[in-house]
Amino acid sequence: MATHDIRTQDRDGLARFLGWFSIGLGTAQVVMPRVMCRIVGADDGGLAPRVMRLMGARELAQGSGILTRPRPTGFVWSRVVGDALDLGALGLIARKGHKRTAFAIANVAAIAVPDYYEARHLSAKQGPPQSGKRIRKAVTIAKPRQEVEQAWADATELRQKVDEHGAQVSFLEAPGNRGTELAVEFTFDPPAGEFGVVAQKLTGSDLATQLADDLRRFKQLVETGEIVRSDSTPNGHLLADHLKQRAAQPLPENERERVNM
Amino acid sequence: MRATVWAGRNKVSVENVPDPQILNDRDAIVRVTTTNICGSDLHLLDGYVPTMQKGDILGHEFMGEVVEVGRGVGNLKVGDRVVVPFPIACGACNACARQQYSLCENSNPNARLAEKMFGHPTAGIFGYSHLTGGFAGGQAEYVRVPFADVGPLKVENTDLPDESLVMLADIFPTGFMGADFCDIKPGDVIAVWGAGPVGQFAASSAQLLGAERVIMIDRFDYRLRIGRENRGFETLNYEEVDSVPEALKELTGGRGPDACIDAVGMESHHHGALYAYDRVKQAMRQETERPFALREAIMSCRNGGIVSIMGVYGGLMDKFPIGALMNRGLTIRTGQCHVQRYMRPLLQRIEDGEIDPSYIVTHRLSLNDAPKGYDIFKHKQDGCLKVVMKP
Repeated sequence: MATHDIRTQDRDGLARFLGWFSIGLGTAQVVMPRVMCRIVGADDGGLAPRVMRLMGARELAQGSGILTRPRPTGFVWSRVVGDALDLGALGLIARKGHKRTAFAIANVAAIAVPDYYEARHLSAKQGPPQSGKRIRKAVTIAKPRQEVEQAWADATELRQKVDEHGAQVSFLEAPGNRGTELAVEFTFDPPAGEFGVVAQKLTGSDLATQLADDLRRFKQLVETGEIVRSDSTPNGHLLADHLKQRAAQPLPENERERVNM
Repeated sequence: MRATVWAGRNKVSVENVPDPQILNDRDAIVRVTTTNICGSDLHLLDGYVPTMQKGDILGHEFMGEVVEVGRGVGNLKVGDRVVVPFPIACGACNACARQQYSLCENSNPNARLAEKMFGHPTAGIFGYSHLTGGFAGGQAEYVRVPFADVGPLKVENTDLPDESLVMLADIFPTGFMGADFCDIKPGDVIAVWGAGPVGQFAASSAQLLGAERVIMIDRFDYRLRIGRENRGFETLNYEEVDSVPEALKELTGGRGPDACIDAVGMESHHHGALYAYDRVKQAMRQETERPFALREAIMSCRNGGIVSIMGVYGGLMDKFPIGALMNRGLTIRTGQCHVQRYMRPLLQRIEDGEIDPSYIVTHRLSLNDAPKGYDIFKHKQDGCLKVVMKP
């Protein structure tokens, strides 16, 4: 099963990393400001924890912005500005001469480099922002093209599901008598950006993975005439089932009706 | 029915579980008459192969009698005596067409897990973690066998005992493939790391394929003796030499063996600092392998020779001598055995009296004694080389 993500999305891997980094750091700052104060060598009483919590709120806003905007140029620049602010604040407490503060300064300086790089990179992008990711799933089925096309035409449920998401389907003769390459291509653009991606993965409704499973099952049906079932995965490839597998022993009588035979 | 289940790290128990049933038209149900404990079961036992779940039925070496067949199984009937190959293969995909049955593209319903781990998925295997499908295994009274029209080997010859035939389910073909990989030519010297069941059959097969000399390396004298006395191998106890590669050089006029077979795998043993390093890293789950035998096999092999890996590996290893491999032009060949390809020709060799694979059997137990069987096999107690069990 080949999956090919075509990188037309502006919110690239580095931007996503910076976004999640902001969420992680911000959460720590908001939830345990005193601990964070101690880590950077500041007082854990008085004004410092309150400032820390505000900075955490800022990080959370920046992270959410980066992870949900199709082209988060402004939010990444705001991280660069944030880095400068953090360095300034750390500079103020550095006079106390704590080693931890020096370490914190080094860390902020280290993250400032990719922040600046990504901000410049996004600023250079032209044209309308690209939010969706083109996803192409391909599978080789060891049967002649005509037979695969006929089977696809008969697979009403799968075809409807694919049509619903505006996917394009193509059939290509595989080289050297290897059968037929079936490819399905669609745009993956879940609501709420990267948060949507994670939510879909956790709930087992991730479209890309579902489609990959569907294609595997389709290949099994066309090549072998049946859906392959094991004791731990009696319904064959299904995303939701993979998250909570049974032990590998035969199904008891009362669970057998749950299997889609 | 009763079945041997994995009950957590280093724990197996025999429990009552539901009987299997036909789920697909191409399934058959086999009443197990003989089943073995395999060395790779030991890797599952201690949890070094990921994705084991409590309650998983173990066992992938078994044979028995067909008691039920699905509508799509035309070649078997109730009462047939069959040996079941451990990889499950559909017989219809491109991998099966190339006779690479252990790479069947369809038989693993957990292919996505395997794909994440290995890049591409591999075939389903009975009783061998969820990575290979989560199929219930054969150390039980009954087993459901998918694609029963492709895998099981029907044996009509009633003179041959189960003990000889059951070795066709895995280790005899596995050892044979390891030797087959070596492209053995007249005059070749083959070295085999490991005198366990797979090592015994790799070495025996190297003889069958015409090797001039076969040298078997292990540290357990009783295992080396079984090879020496039954098959006439030269043996080398690695605890009695300073360096195995040096010893092998001496034994081969300075050339090194023409091919080296690793029949040890991920939990190899060695005395020395590097062993301690690997043991600690593995115990901390920082690497999954303890690949001492493989490192040695690579360092020992003659220039331009072949290293055949039949020992099981699961994940990532450290300190892999890629420089020796590349600069000395070695070839690595490996894979889970494509059992279906070898069963018939090897049955023929057994029938022709070229070899009786039951020579490795040291323990005959009831299935109820499976925990004891695992224990003595793992700890190499009581002269244990191979445990066969009767349900």
